[in-house]
Amino acid sequence: MTRGFAIMPLVLAALALGFCWHIAVGAKSVPLVTVFEALTNYDQSIFDHAVIYNLRLPRAIFAVVAGASLSVAGALMQGITRNPLADPGILGLMIGASFAVVMTFGYFSFSQVAFMPLVAAGGALVAAVLVWGIALAAPGGATPLTLVLSGAAISTFLGAIITMVHLLDEDSYIEMRVWLTGSLTGARMDILYWALPWVVGGMALALTLARQVTALAMGEDTANGLGVDVVRLKSLAMISVVVLTGSAVSIVGPLGFIGLVIPHVVRLFVGADYRLIVPYSAAVGALYLLLIDIVARIVLAPIEISTGIVTAMLGGPFFVWLVRARL
Amino acid sequence: MTPQATIVSGFGGQVTLLLHMRALWVASLMLALLLGITAVALTSGTFPLSLIGVWEVLTGNPPTKTAGIVVWEFRLPRAIVSSFAGALFGLSGAILQNVTRNPLADPSLVGISQGASLAVVSLVVAFPEVSQFYRPVTAFFGSLAVAALIQWIAMQRSDGATMRFILVGIGIAAFISSITKAMLTYGDIEQAQEALGWLAGSIHAAGWDEVWSLTVVFVAMVPLLFWAIRPMSALRMGEDVAVGLGVKVRRTRIILITLSVAFAAFGVAAVGPLGFVGLIAPHLSRRLAHSGIGQHLLLTSLVGAVMVALADLAGRVVFAPIQIPAGIVTAILGVPVFLTLIVKSQYNRQL
Repeated sequence: MTRGFAIMPLVLAALALGFCWHIAVGAKSVPLVTVFEALTNYDQSIFDHAVIYNLRLPRAIFAVVAGASLSVAGALMQGITRNPLADPGILGLMIGASFAVVMTFGYFSFSQVAFMPLVAAGGALVAAVLVWGIALAAPGGATPLTLVLSGAAISTFLGAIITMVHLLDEDSYIEMRVWLTGSLTGARMDILYWALPWVVGGMALALTLARQVTALAMGEDTANGLGVDVVRLKSLAMISVVVLTGSAVSIVGPLGFIGLVIPHVVRLFVGADYRLIVPYSAAVGALYLLLIDIVARIVLAPIEISTGIVTAMLGGPFFVWLVRARL
Repeated sequence: MTPQATIVSGFGGQVTLLLHMRALWVASLMLALLLGITAVALTSGTFPLSLIGVWEVLTGNPPTKTAGIVVWEFRLPRAIVSSFAGALFGLSGAILQNVTRNPLADPSLVGISQGASLAVVSLVVAFPEVSQFYRPVTAFFGSLAVAALIQWIAMQRSDGATMRFILVGIGIAAFISSITKAMLTYGDIEQAQEALGWLAGSIHAAGWDEVWSLTVVFVAMVPLLFWAIRPMSALRMGEDVAVGLGVKVRRTRIILITLSVAFAAFGVAAVGPLGFVGLIAPHLSRRLAHSGIGQHLLLTSLVGAVMVALADLAGRVVFAPIQIPAGIVTAILGVPVFLTLIVKSQYNRQL
């Protein structure tokens, strides 16, 4: 267990470096030294410092929070469903959250952003229960196939309704368009403040559940034998997952495949113990999203590719590889 | 023995299409329904027109000049194109479900439609000066490439290959749609907008060009369908039986999948990627009349035509004057059916 944390300093160092690099890249690239100076010794009169503080730093924080939340959510889902293909995007939670946000804040023009993470989490919860219920009702139970298929069906359905709502209400479309592609560009600082407590709570819950999730990942009988209350564990894990997903979606919109990729990568290095997988997923997920956002901004510069497009471009092939290797 | 009616007979009995009475009834019913929907579609819209008015236009003496233009240039081609496209999607799904022996196969689910979309969007965005005429061909090669890729990846291991086919298809579909989205954000805004409208699966732009190209496609493909009936009947009983009946399984599969891809691609090229029609039409027609492959294909094409015609009409009138693309309507109506199929399907155990 303690040995498992040996490479944590390395990951955190990489994360810090990625964070600074992310801030340095942009329309006007800033030397890394200046970034360090701005972060440690802020001087309002220097133009670069102002840019870093007002524009670049928030964006890097969005990436860290969203990447970490989605990865931990994905890790928990893979653990409790014992399904290598689980991910908040693939199983429909993200579109559920987006749908709830589009309806409340776009269509009905509710303006209290303080409730946005909660609304998104509620939507994710309803979608998760639906997808889970449908998969359980299918003959053979909640296999990876039935979960993925019902997730895809619910996503298509809600996606179609979102499109329809946007056709009927153009204002809502204009307001939500960028957010819906999963982008760090339009993210807002005030929503981050409201989401942050939820993220911290969700993470803490995930960490306390990690030991039992390890047992459950070995099979329900094993978990029962080890004295784990499986129903209670699944419900609590579900709460953690929807809170983390909801918060991430309310900040940056639906960013697919991060929760799928990161836990698998982490598992390669730290094994099957969720007490390690959860914290490592958080750190590596944050780093991953920072790097993706760097790529999205420099590949076609000055044009910026939407972050969600890049995560799907990398995640789709990974999903295919998983299907071939694991099923 | 159930009563049968001979519909087509030729080449000294070599080619016969026998219809059970029930299938014949269902087919006539579907045809009547299609005509009814078309009639309603011709009358409804922002320019009001009575059934009598439509009849006068069609028989050659329009009550007003506007009425003639509205019916001939806008509503009639649109109605014809939606029926044709629906039939194409239905047939594509029926063949795909037969070949993969998988009741959940649908061209829009496993990346074939997305392949066509990517090819067409690339064409529209990157080469805006190329005529619309090349869209069907582009769509065909795009989806063929994707289908080949999915087959190649899914077939590497032999066990449970059909379920892997679907999952691999879902992954590939996600990857391809992300590239399509990138094309749309990166490309010129006007071309992107045109491509976007087409992507939503809307039939509003359909004109006589589409009608003629779809007619040509249909006339060319029907003989292939007659050829396909025999191997499809054999494949329905399982690969081993098909081999026993003298079917060259590997070659036949490739031909049938190409055929299915072609149907889907031409449909997509005409009206954009309409989801779930290829999934539901075959199931619905099987429910309506349990029959052999030939009749099944006939009924499926009719049911598909009715579905898309109805979806297009609903999208036009429900929230008028705002038009909801037919693709949205088919997705909203199709998903509940799809979920029922998942819950009822016995095939899930294969994984």
